[in-house]
Amino acid sequence: MGGLEQRFPVPFKNFSVQIKGNNTDLVICRYDDHFLVMATQIGTMGTILHARKEEGVAVEPTFNVSVIFGKRDEPMLLAITRQLIEHISSSGSSMPLVISLGLKDHSMETLKGIVSAVVENRLW
Amino acid sequence: MSSSFGKASDIEAASKAAVASAASGGVQVTNFTELVDEVTIHFQIIRLAKQIYVWIGSESAKLGNLYAAAPTRPNNTVSVTSILGGASDNTGSGIARRLVLKTGLNIIVACNIPKNNPMLEANAEKKLIEKLITLGYSRPKSRSPGPELSSS
Repeated sequence: MGGLEQRFPVPFKNFSVQIKGNNTDLVICRYDDHFLVMATQIGTMGTILHARKEEGVAVEPTFNVSVIFGKRDEPMLLAITRQLIEHISSSGSSMPLVISLGLKDHSMETLKGIVSAVVENRLW
Repeated sequence: MSSSFGKASDIEAASKAAVASAASGGVQVTNFTELVDEVTIHFQIIRLAKQIYVWIGSESAKLGNLYAAAPTRPNNTVSVTSILGGASDNTGSGIARRLVLKTGLNIIVACNIPKNNPMLEANAEKKLIEKLITLGYSRPKSRSPGPELSSS
């Protein structure tokens, strides 16, 4: 195919997994300056969180994780986000993460299921 | 469990996949690029069951400013809020608002187009709406009172 071979500049993955019997749709995108992860069991994006690595003088990196839209009283969402930004950082990337979580339950099993599904299909 | 070599080819495959439209489960992702007023604009539409996420980028593939918009009772009005970036300009918030009017759904817009160029913003929005109609995401026009799209 000659001519203007323009590759779309945002790599992404779109897939589904079963977590605790709930069908979970996941989308992972890699922009130039952010990773975007969407995990939904409810047909909407749900709560949106933002996580970034703090530039500091300490040897160990620190992370800032916050809810930017949605449920602010569900610590499990923050925990998922924190696990993923730590994984991103230890894989060598300093890019921040925007993650949306629309989940039916907030159990440990779901947390582990989401984190492992994302890590297995990561774009970092 | 992939080695780092495997990861590189993973990203490569994900890049190639990005050109087309992909659906999995309840999520449909549509990516396309258009020339708008001689500027290359990239569009990414992610369709969930009850929500649509749109990314509009140009030149670079940065995420840009994030806005959330939703229909609001009573009176069929629309609420829009900035949720990431976008403190000093509102490029994209108008697009978010009009997408809600067009689709009746909750909308999240990530907008990274040049600021201070209302013509470009309007024409990019036009291309986007055309695509939404083609994909069947817009709702049928019902002549109800309340805010309406300005014809253009």
